[in-house]
Amino acid sequence: MNQETAMSKLRLRNVAKHFIAPRTGQLTTAVTDVNLDIETGEFVCIVGPSGCGKSTVLNLIAGLDTPTSGTIEANGAPIVAPGADRGVMFQDYALMPWMSVHDNIGFGLNYGTPGEGLTREQREKRIRHFVDLVRLNGSEKKYPHQLSGGMRQRVALARLLANGPDILLMDEPLGALDSQTRLILQVELLRIWGETAPREQRKTAIFITHDIEEAVFLGDRVVVMSTHPGRVKAIIPVDLPRPRSEHIRADPRFGQLSDEIWDLIRDEAYRAIDGTEAPAGPKATAVEKVE
Amino acid sequence: MTMNVTNHRVPEQGVSRAAGVDDPASSQRSEPDAAPALPTATKPGAIRRIVSTRAFIAVRSFAAFLALWYLLAAWVGNPIQLPSPLRVAAALISLGADGELFDHALISTTRLAISLVVAVLLAVPLGFFMGLSPKANAYLDPVVELLRPISGIAWIPLGLFIFGVGDVLPVFIMVYVAFFPLLLNTIAGVRHVDGKLVNAARTMGVGRRAMLRHVIVPAALPTVMVGFRLAFAGAWAAIIAAELIGSPSGLGFAIEWYRQLLMTPKVYGFIVVIGIVGYLCDLALRALQRWLTPWAEGMELA
Ligand SMILES: Nc1ncnc2c1ncn2[C@@H]1O[C@H](COP(=O)(O)OP(=O)(O)O)[C@@H](O)[C@H]1O
Ligand SMILES: [Mg+2]
Repeated sequence: MNQETAMSKLRLRNVAKHFIAPRTGQLTTAVTDVNLDIETGEFVCIVGPSGCGKSTVLNLIAGLDTPTSGTIEANGAPIVAPGADRGVMFQDYALMPWMSVHDNIGFGLNYGTPGEGLTREQREKRIRHFVDLVRLNGSEKKYPHQLSGGMRQRVALARLLANGPDILLMDEPLGALDSQTRLILQVELLRIWGETAPREQRKTAIFITHDIEEAVFLGDRVVVMSTHPGRVKAIIPVDLPRPRSEHIRADPRFGQLSDEIWDLIRDEAYRAIDGTEAPAGPKATAVEKVE
Repeated sequence: MTMNVTNHRVPEQGVSRAAGVDDPASSQRSEPDAAPALPTATKPGAIRRIVSTRAFIAVRSFAAFLALWYLLAAWVGNPIQLPSPLRVAAALISLGADGELFDHALISTTRLAISLVVAVLLAVPLGFFMGLSPKANAYLDPVVELLRPISGIAWIPLGLFIFGVGDVLPVFIMVYVAFFPLLLNTIAGVRHVDGKLVNAARTMGVGRRAMLRHVIVPAALPTVMVGFRLAFAGAWAAIIAAELIGSPSGLGFAIEWYRQLLMTPKVYGFIVVIGIVGYLCDLALRALQRWLTPWAEGMELA
């Protein structure tokens, strides 16, 4: 990481995104001055208070939205549209409610570019593989509304992985899980990402979370964002060894890093709580969450 | 609605949820149970379960309705105006025996089916077009809004003049009536497709055709089905009016025919048939809805 190589996997330069409310015409600066270079095989976590623009950044990288100013490049080429090389796991899963677990996992393979050139059998095999991987055997025929929150997240994860994207963009993917399942899936996620493989064989991952310890546990670096306007406040390298297991949480360095990040967002986190309870301060009145 | 376990004699396990606490008939039959127990196979439990099913409640309310009708008919005392349910039943049996009833019912339901198919073929593609293209919507919406408040029945005299008496007039009226709820619900369904799902498909490299076929259409389908049931309800109400005046056959025609002959029990008989056929069709549509859009349970007509 010390030598800036010629080409990053992802490169964000002075990215800003403004939204204009259709009725009132009011301008919101969702994010501004975002500069970020992400290398191949890197696992980058983004933390920050609600409304700081984490999802906005992810959508811009996905190509679902275009930046108001600045540039975003993947493999040296500007991002102009969504593409299956950048897979997204959405905050509320975005599963097709009319499709079974099996068909949801196979959605990209059956109807999108990831399935191009694959026979029916090959696609089926791939779907079954990822059903197994997220341990949804026996639930293939169920519909999303028949699943628990945790199962839906696993379907979304399997769909993401089945499409074989180069870059994984995950928006609070483990947020709805109970803490035990969450710990298990964190380890599993690292395995799927390729923690034990050499760096160049790993996928590139961007992982949004509101859980600082989760960010430290998973990430090579943690991007800390702040709000009003949304910007990158700090980028903390996580110098913990890999592969990581649950025991790494007992490592003193783990606690140090978590504290360091917490110190960076504590003020804003408290302000956000005050804002929701009593909109008294001059800043608090401007805190309008739209999610 | 939860049942008060301590103060009432309540059947175990909440078997009579639908009947509720305000149903003395079913709760009197139950032993005093302190706490809800597991369902047992004992006889009183089984009887209570049957007595408090929805079907049984429907039977009881229907019996009460017939009794009221009977009393009212006796009080009116003029079978030409209001025959007793027994006379109507006799008329229904004789109409059924010589097949007349089924002939007219079949004619009307055939017209209904044809009209609904035509209305779907016209309204649903147009609804998708208007829902997907703001420009098309801007051009077409004013016309739709202008025609929509005009009742289908308003077109009957004109239709009589253009199409004459026959099959075309009732079909025309029904297509007109069914068209608007289908169109407006299709447009609404297409417009309210969850943008997240479209975005998810885009990130998987789904093209325009697959997007329409595998995202927009299924996402809009529950709302289209709601429109279809509304279309049916409107069309079934309108067909009777159209057949009263503009047709030589069908349930509406039969009502008018027997009215002129002052054979009131048969008039009532046909009215009953209209109700029953309409009810059965709605049941069939609900089944279709459950089969086509099983994920959208609970999305109901207002
Ligand atoms: N489509 C949109 N239209 C208007 N404002 C938006 C839109 N999306 C996000 N925002 C605003 O941008 C800011 C950042 O939102 P978001 O990226 O969702 O934050 P986060 O994911 O960190 O909670 C918020 O203030 C939000 O109100
Ligand atoms: Mg978000």
